[in-house]
Amino acid sequence: MAVLAASPAFAHHGWSGQEDKLVDMTGTVVQSVSLAGPHGTMKVRVNNEVWDVTLAPPARTSRAGLTEGKIPVGATVTVRGNRSVQGGRHEMKTISVKHGDQTYRVYPERDM
Amino acid sequence: MSEAGFLIWLQSSALGEFTRSLGVWSYGVINLVHILGIALLFGSILLLDLRLMGAWRRVPLAALSEPTTFMARIGFVLAVCSGLPMLSVNASEYIGNPFLLVKFPAIGLALLNVLLVHRSDAWQAHRHRALMPRERKRLAVGAALSLTFWLTAITGGRMLGYW
Repeated sequence: MAVLAASPAFAHHGWSGQEDKLVDMTGTVVQSVSLAGPHGTMKVRVNNEVWDVTLAPPARTSRAGLTEGKIPVGATVTVRGNRSVQGGRHEMKTISVKHGDQTYRVYPERDM
Repeated sequence: MSEAGFLIWLQSSALGEFTRSLGVWSYGVINLVHILGIALLFGSILLLDLRLMGAWRRVPLAALSEPTTFMARIGFVLAVCSGLPMLSVNASEYIGNPFLLVKFPAIGLALLNVLLVHRSDAWQAHRHRALMPRERKRLAVGAALSLTFWLTAITGGRMLGYW
């Protein structure tokens, strides 16, 4: 399971509390997408660490095609986003989730 | 029950399950009700407390206290009825969040202050007659405490989401 740094993008409007750089992480879904809270969430195990994957607000995540039950527990996914600046926190604000040959882009305008 | 135990119980309760099942707009709508409740509650309280602390003396206190306490009650009920489901959606996420220990004790103190003010002789008297200086001072102290506690509660609540 790999962790790759992608492009160092939008340094001037990075999300506060998150690193500026975009990172790809590949791992296994341990909790599938929930669209209940203020943001969609899922949990992904990467290198034996469980990451909180924070998605867009529920309606936006749903419009991107990523609805509850779409990706089962145990599936391999690659999430792209900005990780929390607090290293111990294991939280990523996520702009896209790749599952098989499907990519769900919840913040396409940030993916550059 | 510990704080963590309560939050986990709340999340797995029927309320939590029901709220999570309501669809992608539900959190936003419940949040809207919460904001409206707080706006009603704090807006009403602010007017009354400033009057009790000496502003707008030409407005009769009894004429102002009735609508403001009425609207504040409605606001509080709206805030509680929306706040509990919002918390229940993902309550375990708030375990260890220090702002919980700011918000909820502040609400407790604010409610205790409401109780003490409403039981005071000064508050009982304001509906029938002009207040004596000592009574005005009593209500001004209660108003200052009220603003302090409610502002603390609202600040703690807002910061909960940013921890």
